[in-house]
Amino acid sequence: MLKKLKPYLYLLPALFFLIIFTYYPVFRAIYLSFFKWNTSYPSKVFTGFSNYIDLFKNPDFWKVLKNSVIYSLSTIVISMSLALFLAIQVNKVLFMSSFYKVALFYPTVIPMAAAALIWKWMYIPDYGLLDFFLGKLGFPNINWLNNAKIALWSIIAVGIWKYIGYYMILFLAGLQNIPKSLIDAAIVEGANGRQRFSYVIFPMISSYTFFIFIINIINSLQAIDQVYIMTQGGPANSTNLIVYYIYEQAFRFWNRGIGATLTTILIIFLLVLVSFIFRSIGRRVYYEV
Amino acid sequence: MKFKYSVLKRLVKHNILSHILLFVISILVLIPLFLMVSTAFKSLPELLSTDFHWIPKKIIFTNFRDAMEVAPFGRYYMNTIILVISILAVQLVTISLASYAFARLKFPGRDIIFLFFLLQLMIPPQSIVVPNYITIASLKLLDTKLAIGVVYFASAFGTFLLRQAFRAIPRDIEDAAKIDGCEGLKTVFHVFIPLAKPSFIAFALVSVTYHWNEFFWPLIVTDTVRARTLTVGLAMLTQATESTPEWTLTMAATIIVVFPLLTIFVIFQRRFIQSFMHSGIKG
Repeated sequence: MLKKLKPYLYLLPALFFLIIFTYYPVFRAIYLSFFKWNTSYPSKVFTGFSNYIDLFKNPDFWKVLKNSVIYSLSTIVISMSLALFLAIQVNKVLFMSSFYKVALFYPTVIPMAAAALIWKWMYIPDYGLLDFFLGKLGFPNINWLNNAKIALWSIIAVGIWKYIGYYMILFLAGLQNIPKSLIDAAIVEGANGRQRFSYVIFPMISSYTFFIFIINIINSLQAIDQVYIMTQGGPANSTNLIVYYIYEQAFRFWNRGIGATLTTILIIFLLVLVSFIFRSIGRRVYYEV
Repeated sequence: MKFKYSVLKRLVKHNILSHILLFVISILVLIPLFLMVSTAFKSLPELLSTDFHWIPKKIIFTNFRDAMEVAPFGRYYMNTIILVISILAVQLVTISLASYAFARLKFPGRDIIFLFFLLQLMIPPQSIVVPNYITIASLKLLDTKLAIGVVYFASAFGTFLLRQAFRAIPRDIEDAAKIDGCEGLKTVFHVFIPLAKPSFIAFALVSVTYHWNEFFWPLIVTDTVRARTLTVGLAMLTQATESTPEWTLTMAATIIVVFPLLTIFVIFQRRFIQSFMHSGIKG
C-alpha cells in the first residue's frame, strides 16, 4: 500500500504549492467574478454576470483590450523578427561574438523596473537624452510619455529592448542545433542564401520559433512594470494594459469583484489562445526526435 | 568595376556587413546602460546645464551616498538576498522530488499530473495577483518575505527542466547505487542531484535572476521596509522625489539595484547565456 502511494509522496510538496497558489486562485477568481465586492459593497454580494456586463459596457475596458493587443502584436512581430535576424548574424561571426551577445542580452538580467526608470529619464521632454539629440539635429521636441498618440509606442520600445536579447539567444540555440551537413548539402545543391533560409534554416528551427512565439505571447500579456513606473496607464488610458488595469481596479479602487472578473477573462483568453495556437500551428512544427 | 566587385566579395567573405550591423545595434542597446552610468556620476547642476556630455566634466560619487541616505538600501539588499536564496532552496527540494517521480517512477495518472504541472507555465503569477493577494491576506502573511516567496515554491519550469536531466541519467548508475544500499530519497540526493548539476546551475541562475528582478508581486504584498525588495524600494524612492526628479540620485540608486547581477552576468556571461539558452527549450 505504502509502496503504491510513494510516487505521490514525491509529488506532494510541489503539488501542494501548485494547487494553493496557482490552481485554487484561478477557481477563486472565477468564483469571485460573480460577486459585487468593492467599496460600496464591503462584504460581497452575488450578482451573477453583472461584473461581466459592466465591463463589456465600459469603454475603458475595450480601450485597455485594444492597447494590450497592439502592445502584444507589435512586440511579438518586431522583437521576434529582429531577434531572428540578429541571431543569424551572430551565428555567422566568430570575432567579437561574445561582445555582441553580452551587449544584446544584458537587458534580460536587469529588472524591468530599473530599466523603465532609465528609459523614463531618456524620454524626459527637453533635457532628456532623446529630445536633446532630436533638438541638436533640428527636430522639434517630442513628448514621448505624455502624448496619447505616442506613449504606447514608447512603452513598446522598452518591451522590445528588454527581451530582444533573450529571444535572440533562444533562436541562436535553434540555429546551432541545425546539423552543418544539412547546410553544406544545400550549398552543394546550389541554394543561395535566401533559399537556404526559407527551405532549410527556417523549417529546421520551427520548433524554436514556435516556443519563442508562445512565451512571447504569455510575456507580453503580463507587461506591467514599465507601465507602473513610466506612465501609470496614462495619458487618458492610452498606455493602460490588461494587468495594469487589474491592478488599478483591485488595488487602487478596491474593486475586487471587477479585479477577479478581469483575471478570469485574462486567463481564459490565454488558455484559449494558446490551445488554439497549439492546434493550428503546433502540428506543422518540426520536432527532432 | 572589377575593384568594386572584389571589395564586395571581401565584405561578404569576412562578414563585414554582419559586424557593422551587429556593432551598431549593440551600441544602440547599450545606450540606456551608458546613460545610467554617466548620469549617476554627474552633479545635478551639470545635468541641468544645457550641454550634454557622456563623460561628466567632474566625476562625483556623492549621488550614491545621497541615495543610501534617502532609502534604506542596506535593508532592501538583505531582504532581497534572503528572499532569493530561500525561494531557490525550497524550489530545489520541491522540483527534485517531483522530477524524480516524473522521470523514474511509474504510477497511475502520471502523464495527466505532469500536464497539470506544465499548465502552470500558462498562468503566470502576474495574472493571478488578485486571488493570491486575498489568500495571502487571509493567511495573515501580508508584508512578510514569505508572502513574496511562497507563491513560487513550486516551479513547473524547474520540474520540466530537471525531469529532462534526470531522464538522461543511465539506469545502470541507479542500479549500482541500489546494490550499494541506496534507495528512494537517498538515490535522489546522492545520485540524481549530483549528476544533474549543470541543470541545477542553469535553473538556479534563471530563478535568482527572475526573483531579484521581480517587481509587481512584491510591490503589492509589501507595505513597509520590513520585507520590501530592491526593485520596490527603487520605485518608492522615485515616487518620493517625484515633484523634482533628481535623475542623478535616481540613476545612482538604479546602479545600486542592478550592480550585483549585472556584474555576475558579465563575469560568468558564457554560463549565464548557456543557462538561459538551454533552460527554456532543450527536450
